[in-house]
Amino acid sequence: MSSRADVLVIGSGAGGAPTAALLAEAGYEVLVVEEGDMVRQGDAVPFSLDQMDRQYRSGGVTAAIGRPSIAYTEACCAGGGTEINSGLYRRPPEDVIDRWRTEHDIADFDTAEIYAICDEVEAELSVQPIPGTATGASEALKRGAERLGWSHDEIPRWMTYSSTDVASGRRRSMTETYLPRAVGAGARIETGTRVDRLVVSDGRATSALLSDRQGRATTVRFNEVIVCGGAIQTPALLQRSGLRHRIGRSLAVHPTVKLTARFGDELNVPDDVPVHQVKEFAPDLSFGGSASSPGLLALALSDHWKLFGSAIEDWRNLATYYAAITSEGRGRVMALPGLRDPLVTYRLTRRDRALLGRGLARLALVMLEAGATEVYPAYRDAPIVRGRRDLAAMQGTFGVGKASMMTVHLCSTVPMGRRPKVSATDSHGLVNGTRNVRVNDASLLPDAPGVNPQASVMAVAIRNARRFIERSGS
Amino acid sequence: MKDPPDITIVTGASGWLGQALLAALTDPADPYGRAGEIRALATSKPEGDVLGRSPGVVPVVGDVRTRAGLRDLFDGLTGSVDVIHAAGVIHPGTVSDFVEINTRGTQNVAAAARAAGVRRLVHVSSNSPFGVNPHPTDRFRNDEPYHPYMGYGRSKMLAELRLLDEVGKGLDAVIVRPPWFYGPHQPARQTTFFTLVRTGKFPIVGDGTQRRSMVYVDNLVQGVVLAELAEAPPGRAWWIADERPYEMNEIVATVKSALANAGLDVTDRQLRLPGVVGRMAQAADSIVQRSGRYVTQLHVLGEMDKTIACDIAVAEAELGYQPAVELGEGMRRSIVWCLDQGIAL
Amino acid sequence: MVAFPLARLIAEFSDQVIATDLPALPSARRADVVAFTGRRIAGLPSPMKIGVGVVATIVGGLGRVVGLRRLTGLLARRPIPVFGDYVRLVRSLSYAYVWETWPSTAPDGSPVD
Repeated sequence: MSSRADVLVIGSGAGGAPTAALLAEAGYEVLVVEEGDMVRQGDAVPFSLDQMDRQYRSGGVTAAIGRPSIAYTEACCAGGGTEINSGLYRRPPEDVIDRWRTEHDIADFDTAEIYAICDEVEAELSVQPIPGTATGASEALKRGAERLGWSHDEIPRWMTYSSTDVASGRRRSMTETYLPRAVGAGARIETGTRVDRLVVSDGRATSALLSDRQGRATTVRFNEVIVCGGAIQTPALLQRSGLRHRIGRSLAVHPTVKLTARFGDELNVPDDVPVHQVKEFAPDLSFGGSASSPGLLALALSDHWKLFGSAIEDWRNLATYYAAITSEGRGRVMALPGLRDPLVTYRLTRRDRALLGRGLARLALVMLEAGATEVYPAYRDAPIVRGRRDLAAMQGTFGVGKASMMTVHLCSTVPMGRRPKVSATDSHGLVNGTRNVRVNDASLLPDAPGVNPQASVMAVAIRNARRFIERSGS
Repeated sequence: MKDPPDITIVTGASGWLGQALLAALTDPADPYGRAGEIRALATSKPEGDVLGRSPGVVPVVGDVRTRAGLRDLFDGLTGSVDVIHAAGVIHPGTVSDFVEINTRGTQNVAAAARAAGVRRLVHVSSNSPFGVNPHPTDRFRNDEPYHPYMGYGRSKMLAELRLLDEVGKGLDAVIVRPPWFYGPHQPARQTTFFTLVRTGKFPIVGDGTQRRSMVYVDNLVQGVVLAELAEAPPGRAWWIADERPYEMNEIVATVKSALANAGLDVTDRQLRLPGVVGRMAQAADSIVQRSGRYVTQLHVLGEMDKTIACDIAVAEAELGYQPAVELGEGMRRSIVWCLDQGIAL
Repeated sequence: MVAFPLARLIAEFSDQVIATDLPALPSARRADVVAFTGRRIAGLPSPMKIGVGVVATIVGGLGRVVGLRRLTGLLARRPIPVFGDYVRLVRSLSYAYVWETWPSTAPDGSPVD
C-alpha cells in the first residue's frame, strides 16, 4: 500500500509539530508520521511508570553507554518530549546564540528574529510563572541559595491554570497547541507508524518505507521530507537511509547527578517538579529539582540502600534535586545493521567529571543551608551528609563511575551551519549532499545550550520552517 | 568599624604574613598602625628578642601545640583584646606537624582566647580546605563545600571546624582565607621561585591557562585588619586575595618582566611540561604524604596544573576590602625588597 | 554450556537480586516485580538488550555452577564493571516499581500498615 504527500514530516515533537503546523497553514499538503501513540495531557500521571510505558521510548530505559553510562529519557508519542518533560521554558541565552552563529558560521541567524519567534511561542504556549506559591521542594532550593547569596530564579512554564492552585495547571504541550493547529489546517497525522528508511538516490529522497505496530509495511512518496525525530532517532534514520556524513557524531547532553534531601516538614508533591533553579554557576553548572514520586525516590536512594533506605518511609519529607553541567564531552549515535535501535555512546572529559563532583557538593551545601536534616547523594557507597564536615567526605569519595548519571536533554547530532568538518546540514537544516532532506529538531542545535532546550528547538524549527516556505513559494 | 584594641595578640609573628602585619601595626605612619601593646608569640627566646626590637611589641615565648604553651600569651590581659592567629605550617618536616600545629594549635589558641574573653579572633586559613576549581573559569564563592587538598588542606579544614566549635560556645572569631602569598618578607622558597623563573626553569605545566588567585601581603594585611575591626557576625569567613586570579602564563611573564626591569638577567627560555606531569606529581604527593613524609617540590609540582581561584566580591561588599596592589606592582616591590636585603635572585 | 531461554535467566536473576535486597517483600509482590522487570528488559533498545543478554547468559551459566544466590550476593555487594551495570539495571527497575506500586513499603520490602 502506498500514499503520497507534498511534505512528509517525521516526528511530532517540539520540532515536528510547529513545522507541520506552519507548512500546513501555508498551504502545503502535510503528512506527519509519528512512531508513538496519541496520549492526551492528563491521560497518564506525569513521571509515573504508566506514563513511561505509554509515552517514553523503551519504557524509559535508555542509556548512552560509556564509563560511566548515562541514562536518558526519550519520548515516543505524539507531541514528543513536550508531553513528558517538566514544562520549564528558557529562551536560548544570547551568548549561546552568538556562539552558534560565529563558531558554526550559521548564516541568517539573527538574535532579534530568534527572540521575536520566542515571543510568539511564549504567547502560543502561554508561558507564565506559577500562580500562588511554589511547592515546598521548590522553596527549599530557593531558600538555600538565598542563604548562600547564590543567584537563582523561578522558571516559567508553558501551562494554563484554571485557578491560583498550582495543581490546576494543564501543560500546553504539542498535542494541545501546534498539532491541533496542523490538523486544523489540513495536515494528516499517522501515529503508531515508524519510518524504517528513506529511499534516497542521487541526493534526492523520493519515498519512505514505513511499518506500523503490527509490522505491516507501507510506502509514502513525497516531494520534501523533514526529519524531526529528535537527537537520537533523526541521525539513526538518516544513517539507515545511507546518509552518514558527519551525522550522529557530536551528541551533546547535560549530564546530571542527583541527591535526595530530607526535611523536618512534608514538602513532596509527587507529580510535579520545582520551578526554581540556581544559576550562580551558569552556564557550567545549574541546580534544580527533579520529580520525586515514591518510586523515583526509591530509585534515587538505591545507590546506597543499606544506609539510605530507611528514609523511604518518610517519603513525604524527601525531595530529589539535580546538578546539571554543560559538557565538554560528546557522544555518538550509530545505527547498527540489522538492529532496530541505534547504539548510543557518550564520553565525559576530565573537566566534566571534576565539575560534576564539585557541582553535587555545592548542591548538597545549598540543601544543608535550606535546612535539610540529611542529604543522600546518589552514588555508590555515598555517606549521609548532615553538616559541612560531611561534604569533605562526600567530595573525597565521589566518582562519576559510582554515580547514577542521567540526562534529559539530547542535542547536536546533526548540527547545522557551515563549519568545516562539523556541520551536517546547511544553515537552515538541509542535509548536506541532499536536495530535499531536511532536519528540524534538537539535532540541529550545534551544542547543548546549557538551559532547558525546548525553547531553542522550537525557535530554530519555526525559523527554518518559515525560510522553507519563503524560498519554495507556496 | 570598631576601634583598635588595647592589646593585639599575634601568633605566627615571625612568619611571612606576621612580619608584614607587625610592620603595619607598629608603624604610626601606616593606616593600620595602632597604639597599644602588640603581644607576639615567639617559639624561642632568640626569636623573641628579634621581635622585641619593634616598638610596642612585647614578645612572649610559647608554643601553640599545647594549652600550657599558651598560658603566658594570654596571661595578665587588660582592656579590649583581639587575637590574630597567623601561626601555621605549610611545608612541614613531617606530616604530623600539620595536625600538631595547624589543627591542634588553632584549637588551643581558640580555646584560650575564649577563656580569656577576647573581643575577636581572626583566624588566617587558606584555600586548601576547598581543593581546586574544576576548570579555569570556575571561582570559589564565599561559601564552598570542603574538599581538602592533602594533609595541609585537611589540617586547615579541621582547624576551621574546631574554631567554629569554639564560636558555637561563645567565641567571636572570623576567618580570612588567603591564597598563594607574594610580597616582601618572603621566605627562601619564594626566592627559589624567582630564581627558577629567571632562568626559565620554573615549569609551566599544561598550556598555562590554569588560573591562580594570589594575594600581595599588604593586601592581606588590609583584609585581616578589616576582618578584625568589622561589625560582622562570629563565624563569618571571607576570601582575601588580589582583585582577580592570574593565568599561570601571566604570572611567569609578569615575574620575568619585573626581574628584567630590576636589572637582572632573564632568559627567554621557558620550560613547559605536559599537564599529565602535574597529575602524576599529585598522585605521588598523595602517596608520600600518606606514608607520613613530605616532599615540598613534589607537592608544589602537583599543584601547578591546577586552577585555584576565588571570588572576593563578598569581602569587598561586607568589609570594604579593596586590594591596592596587583601582580606587576607587587612583584616589583618583592624584588626590590629582596635586593635590598642582599638576597641573590 | 546448555542454552536457556534468556527471559527465564533474567527472571531468575531478578528474583535473586530482589530477594537479596528486599528480603521481606511478599513473594506475590516479588513475582509482580520480576514480571515488570522482565517486560522492561524485553523492551530495551536492541544494542542494550544484546549487552544484557550476554551478561545474563554468563551470569546464568556461572550461577548454575557456583549457586545463583551466592553469585547474586557477590554481585550485589561488589561493583564489577559491566556485571555491576546489570545489577544496577535490575535494581533500579525493581525499586521504582515497588515504591510506585506500594508506596507504604518498608526498606526491607515488608508492607507497612
